[in-house]
Amino acid sequence: MEPEELALKVIKEHPEGIYQNQLWKEMNIDSRKCSRIVSKLLKKGLIIRESATSKGSRTYLLKSAEEPKPSYEMLLSGSMFSPCAGCRLACEPEFCEYLTEWIVKLDEEDETSQSEAQC
Amino acid sequence: MVDLNDPVIRGYLKQLVGDEGLKMIENMPEGEVTDEKIAEETGVLLNIVRRTLFILNEYKLVVCRRERDTSSGWLTYLWRLDLSGIENRLEKERKKLIQNLEQRLEFEEGNVFFECPEGCLRLLFSEATNYHFLCPLCGEDLVAQDNSKTIENIRSRLNKLKKCG
Repeated sequence: MEPEELALKVIKEHPEGIYQNQLWKEMNIDSRKCSRIVSKLLKKGLIIRESATSKGSRTYLLKSAEEPKPSYEMLLSGSMFSPCAGCRLACEPEFCEYLTEWIVKLDEEDETSQSEAQC
Repeated sequence: MVDLNDPVIRGYLKQLVGDEGLKMIENMPEGEVTDEKIAEETGVLLNIVRRTLFILNEYKLVVCRRERDTSSGWLTYLWRLDLSGIENRLEKERKKLIQNLEQRLEFEEGNVFFECPEGCLRLLFSEATNYHFLCPLCGEDLVAQDNSKTIENIRSRLNKLKKCG
């Protein structure tokens, strides 16, 4: 991966933005090289830059210029997609067995994430 | 370009058209094609291809064009896969799920449930009273169900769903 691509990837991973003095540390490059990469990304309009102060030092806060895409992962419970999609049955969310199955899987998902956290 | 390996996209399409429908989508020939050609190229049965196309058309995920043969007067239907609107569909599904989960949450919070320890069924308090707190299927004593974890799970997922749009 080219340094510019890598920098853009790191910046996108921080939707709230990343300080420039944090970026070069994460990328394991020196600040001068980072500054050159940032200039190129700015010129291409791929990122936006705001003046900021981090731990008392003046730096820049870098953000991706791209609007973050909404994530629809929450429609999945485990590997089961929302049963309401494409459903042709009379809608009774109170008693729907498919919705119940989806809700039960939320519990399994919760237990899995808890056990993973313990690991 | 829509990534068919994305678990959300995959899950959604599978929910709409099933495993065979998903297989059809994955192997769909490029450009405009007839249903017979799709069946031939994808190895999916023609009736399933037609059912899948019908559903995808309803959800605006395929484009259909009619062509009339000038000599015979017969109509040919040509189909092209167009998943560009899938994000809009997912947004609609998100809203629909939020609405149904809110309704379910209200029901879970506003009622007391009893269940059969053998797992036969779950009843509302009023229904359990009618059966004298005995399972109508196996005769076991019904026990009060603690649905606080279910409520917590639904509430937590609702919060996440509301944030992700």
